[in-house]
Amino acid sequence: MCYINNPPKDSAQLKSELSAEQWILLGKEAVDNGMLFLLLTGGEPLLHPGFFQILEGLKPLGILLILFTNGTLITKEVAKRIAQSPPYRIEITLYGATEKTYEAVTRIPGSYAQCLAGIEALLEQRLPLLLKTTITRQNVGELEAMRQLAHSFGVPFIGSWLLTERRDGAPSEVKDCRLSARECVMLEATDQISATEWQEAVLRGEKNSEENFYCLAGKSTFVITPSGEMNICIDLPFPSAKPLEIGFKSAWEEVQKFVDTAPPLSPICQACEDRIFCPRCPAWSYLENGTLTEPVPYLCEIAKERRKIYAP
Amino acid sequence: MRRKVNFLLRKVGDLNILVPIGQEVLDLNAVITLNETGAYLWELLEEERSAEELAIALSEEFDVDIAQARIDVENFLKELRETGLVED
Ligand code: SF4
Ligand code: SF4
Repeated sequence: MCYINNPPKDSAQLKSELSAEQWILLGKEAVDNGMLFLLLTGGEPLLHPGFFQILEGLKPLGILLILFTNGTLITKEVAKRIAQSPPYRIEITLYGATEKTYEAVTRIPGSYAQCLAGIEALLEQRLPLLLKTTITRQNVGELEAMRQLAHSFGVPFIGSWLLTERRDGAPSEVKDCRLSARECVMLEATDQISATEWQEAVLRGEKNSEENFYCLAGKSTFVITPSGEMNICIDLPFPSAKPLEIGFKSAWEEVQKFVDTAPPLSPICQACEDRIFCPRCPAWSYLENGTLTEPVPYLCEIAKERRKIYAP
Repeated sequence: MRRKVNFLLRKVGDLNILVPIGQEVLDLNAVITLNETGAYLWELLEEERSAEELAIALSEEFDVDIAQARIDVENFLKELRETGLVED
């Protein structure tokens, strides 16, 4: 969960983050190397003291900017200023449809009302908004209510339920928060679009890629951490290349090389009959068992449950 | 007519993409791409041009007959007007 776990003015945290000038410099170099889409995420990007300087510095470069935020810092004035340099898309995460559930997750009193006010302020400026949630045990009962809430604002809504361990490796309560494999798959089956996609994939006899990195990471996407390291994706802290020291292009080459030379899928996954139903990727393996290749028991269960429904 | 100033034409790989750099907001899923002739006309529209001037330039640059070039320019301008990307 990306919420404000550090105090907003945490000086050690702020010191370790790139300055607005550094972010803009990296943005320019990335554009020179062909970057088109850029996602600003966190934590909470609006906590950066140079947030507007960054937004306003990046916009003229011709980037399609996407902003992920929890919405709680978006007042009417903030929304007005965002509308001067509007992102291509803004996504706000809902943690619940009621104050009680939302704040049970965020643990910040008042955050629910602030989030709703933020949504209203952005819509008043006609900014392109999408609402989403990560479904947990605490908020699953409000999934439909969250969908309705988004509907009442007239904006799209998406829910995902694949909760991973913490990225920094610290102990987490994920096992208590995430739904069981069976619950996930039953919930997914209630979504007509997902259900149809699975049915069609089975009919087409689709096979998952033989590649370990089957995604765009290291091929056309990368991540830059708050302290300026370039990595494969938000969940994989490799290869920690330093674009501000060695230049964007060399850092990007390091990331590509890491992915190109990554170990192949484990023999177990290669031989697995349920692989078509399995979202395992190197990041999942890394977060759940510290490897880039090995099976993830939670996903094995999910894949089995999907098979029961779609290819019994 | 001429193009609006607040869009930047970016060449990314084989694609010519128009990216808003002002206060324009695109639909959540819209990205405007131009083909090669569209990108050529867009560059010309940095300055005030008439449809006839564009058609002559297009016909010379891409070696198409002028009648065809006029049709292509009209179609292109129609789309630009509909999406509000040019000002008369
Ligand atoms: S999380 Fe997995 S699928 Fe997504 S970019 Fe990272 S490695 Fe690829
Ligand atoms: S993680 Fe489990 S279900 Fe997924 S491919 Fe590997 S063995 Fe199969």
